[in-house]
Amino acid sequence: MSDRTIARTRPGMLRHPIHLGLGLVALTVAPAAAWAADAYLPIVLPVTGFMSVEGGSQRNGALMAIEHAPASLKAEAPVFDTGTSATGAATALDKALSEKPALAASVSVFGTEMVAMAPMAQDYQVPLLTISGLAQLTETGNPYIFRFLPNDREIKVAHARYVVEKLNKTKPALIGDTTAYGQGGFKLLQEDFAKLNINLAMAESVEPDTRDMSSIVAKIKESGADVLVIHTVAQPMALLIKQARTAGLDIPIVTSSSLVEPQATALFDPAELKSTCSETPSAPEARATPEISAWADAYEARFKQPPDGLALGQYDGVMMALSLIAGGATTPDLLAKALNTTTYKGVAMTYKSNGKGDMAHNAEIVCWDGTSRIPKIAADYSGDELTLK
Amino acid sequence: MSLLQILFNSLALGSVYALVALGFVLVVNATGAVNFAHGDLVMAGGYAAVFFGSWLGLPLILLLPLVAVAMFILGVAVCFLAYFPLLKRPPSSVFISTLLCGIMLENGYIVMFGPEIKAGPPLLTTGSLDLPPISLSIQSLATIGVAGLLIALQYLVFFRTQLGRRLRAVSQDREMAQAIGIPAFTLIAVTFGVGTALAGIAGAVLSNQFFVSPTGGVSLSIYGYIAVVIGGWGSILGAVVGALIIALFQVGASTVVPYTVATGGLYVALLVILFLRPQGVFGERVQRRV
Repeated sequence: MSDRTIARTRPGMLRHPIHLGLGLVALTVAPAAAWAADAYLPIVLPVTGFMSVEGGSQRNGALMAIEHAPASLKAEAPVFDTGTSATGAATALDKALSEKPALAASVSVFGTEMVAMAPMAQDYQVPLLTISGLAQLTETGNPYIFRFLPNDREIKVAHARYVVEKLNKTKPALIGDTTAYGQGGFKLLQEDFAKLNINLAMAESVEPDTRDMSSIVAKIKESGADVLVIHTVAQPMALLIKQARTAGLDIPIVTSSSLVEPQATALFDPAELKSTCSETPSAPEARATPEISAWADAYEARFKQPPDGLALGQYDGVMMALSLIAGGATTPDLLAKALNTTTYKGVAMTYKSNGKGDMAHNAEIVCWDGTSRIPKIAADYSGDELTLK
Repeated sequence: MSLLQILFNSLALGSVYALVALGFVLVVNATGAVNFAHGDLVMAGGYAAVFFGSWLGLPLILLLPLVAVAMFILGVAVCFLAYFPLLKRPPSSVFISTLLCGIMLENGYIVMFGPEIKAGPPLLTTGSLDLPPISLSIQSLATIGVAGLLIALQYLVFFRTQLGRRLRAVSQDREMAQAIGIPAFTLIAVTFGVGTALAGIAGAVLSNQFFVSPTGGVSLSIYGYIAVVIGGWGSILGAVVGALIIALFQVGASTVVPYTVATGGLYVALLVILFLRPQGVFGERVQRRV
């Protein structure tokens, strides 16, 4: 019988006779101390494939949290590569969780992979700590999914509201991509603009490997749009912005969070980013608070690369889990319960579950002024501001 | 967008696809094998441009010979690793071995250059020439020039030189060519090298306007394959025309219909061509001997 089958029949840490024995010993001797001495939190995310930039940042955040774990904890967090595929993700998570009893796992930013991994969290009854924005993840009643970046359903509200209420634009051109992430956000933005009584000047999706954007740029120009709203992964976004600016399209551009990645902004001359903004859950590179500034400095020193919001989101998520484990949440079920009921002040923001596993409820809009690749915070949204009736 | 602008943009993109497809055709012609690592070798050229560009700080046009030499060596290495050891195995073995080479290259790029997207140096300079009603990007103009020169050169070598005649002889019947004293294996290795050099130059040219990424070659392999199928298996002229047709769909058709519809249209056109003319637009009808 495979470990996974055992997991289905015997939930939690007691899914194998050896684990049962260990569990009994732990219960009779010193349960918290036993878990605290050996907390296994595997990291299962895309290190290779087209989401490897985002996955790399996420991995760094998780590793940094493990290195900053409370002194009473000896945490172990091996990295498993999902290869940016749903099947790779399911296989990697199965391997990670069947090796030894895990208290939680840091899992992929990529929604397509999360769809494959989410049912396994229920099989193994292990909390998954993710930063994937895909709205449906926390809308299916799975009690083991905990998301430390805002749900796209919330952050797209900030995206649309900034365009309409701060920039006062009335004719947005909306461009998405054909990935699950791209289509999810594209649909939410269409709904949000409709709720704000805004008719789109045009709306179209491109494939993520599209190279020549001249036809899209021509359509945007012909539509008379007064702002370009983009919700895509990094490569088509960078190509579209570059080619739009080269073609003389000088309307403001407001993008999804991929542009905030330092690797994405490195593709531009600072001047090319003028009048460009992006939604992001947090912008550690802007170093807006002393806590974020200290964290960003530590991150740069550790990984020799600029920090980003994905790394910070995963860091906060893993740190919250580690703090709860150190505080006595010494089994996966106790940890899941604690994650659902505890309010935690992280580096980026304060995290609190909405009862569905959505922990983060803040969004920022950052803008570039054309003189630097470091953006400045232009607007901040939280709580009810992230809901449209 | 004016018709002239659409044609110019299509020609610029099609030129790069043509270079990709030509390298593909060269190997097909010399070996009868499909090199599924070809798109990843295009990316190798892009990364070579990024590396040499940041190291030497020169415009790409001066770096192209360096890129071509490096890629030639890589192509010969791929031939020795993925083709020669499987020469007597079924063709599917070569498909798999080149596919695996491609996967190893992709992961090699991640290790050496990181997973992020990179931009290479421009061929000459950035900017554009405004000639109303069209705007001619200098990078695109230089791309068309480089591609045109290389296509003409390849045509001359293949059809006007002794080397070309020998290469064609090897592709038609390797054993007979060997029997009359042609060094078939040397020529096959040279063909892999030249095909890869062309792929590398395409990647280097792509790297400035369209970036390079570890997995960016996958779609280029597909476009190269489609161009060859549309144009006619093994036809140099066909590969160029096939590449231009792909670019016309991606740039021209997507101007009047949604991009996803234009992409769908490309694949429908491919099916129609395969149905009406299975040998491709410029391919010759062949019959196998029993």
